[in-house]
Amino acid sequence: MRSVDSDLGFEEHLDALYRSALRLTRKPEDAEDLVQETYVRAYRYRHRFQPGTNAKAWLFTIMANAFRNRARLHRGVEEPIDEPGTDFYIYEQLRREGTPLHLMSPEELVVDRGFGDEVKRALEELPLPMRMVVLLVDVEDFSYKEAAGILSIKIGTVMSRLHRGRRALQKRLWDYSGRPKSASIAVGAG
Amino acid sequence: MHQLDCDETAERLNLYLDRELSDADVVQVREHLSECPPCERIFDFQAEVKRLVRKECCSDDAPARLREWVRNLSAKDPQPPA
Ligand SMILES: [Zn+2]
Repeated sequence: MRSVDSDLGFEEHLDALYRSALRLTRKPEDAEDLVQETYVRAYRYRHRFQPGTNAKAWLFTIMANAFRNRARLHRGVEEPIDEPGTDFYIYEQLRREGTPLHLMSPEELVVDRGFGDEVKRALEELPLPMRMVVLLVDVEDFSYKEAAGILSIKIGTVMSRLHRGRRALQKRLWDYSGRPKSASIAVGAG
Repeated sequence: MHQLDCDETAERLNLYLDRELSDADVVQVREHLSECPPCERIFDFQAEVKRLVRKECCSDDAPARLREWVRNLSAKDPQPPA
């Protein structure tokens, strides 16, 4: 016998929902709670879901709404940030430092500076509107249009939040990253 | 066809990376990147950062307890009449 879920395809998105919930709430117990609320609502309103359409987007829409309601209850600390400038913050800093960018692959540059170590922390520090968009587009691979639908905002708003969010994220990664582990490469690269 | 310069390419790089450009724009961006190593390096680096963010965030899987809970919920839920 097929379970309901195998028809609706809700369960297969559990990991995606959970990791996003974790970045939004920053606490495992709150993330679990948010995911549970999301699934309860998803099943309650499943008559509004059309099987065969994008179950992942539908679940993320429910979670975004549930989270918004919670965030409203204890709103506070988060200031909107505006970081003017281009999209390539880290790259420009590396260039300014004189890093031999033509001699190192992107993988080497990223590993060398340890940019990966603080990704979660940097993401969790982004103001919520930007964090949401970066999670949806960069982590969960939604299109701008899908992200706009999930958050009930315009595509132009998705784009501006994504631009600002990514830039703020790169700035944090840069600020948190260590000094180059292979400084000798930079010296020897005349 | 219009040839993109470096600034015009830079404006489109993230859109290209996100697969949000029209087919015609994709062709133009690719053409510029293939002829301009500095822009190509920026693009490759930006792609690596995007990959990195995804990789780091995808390391958190839902706890087994939660998975069990979701399974029970879906099992309890009766199939709506066809
Ligand atoms: Zn160029």
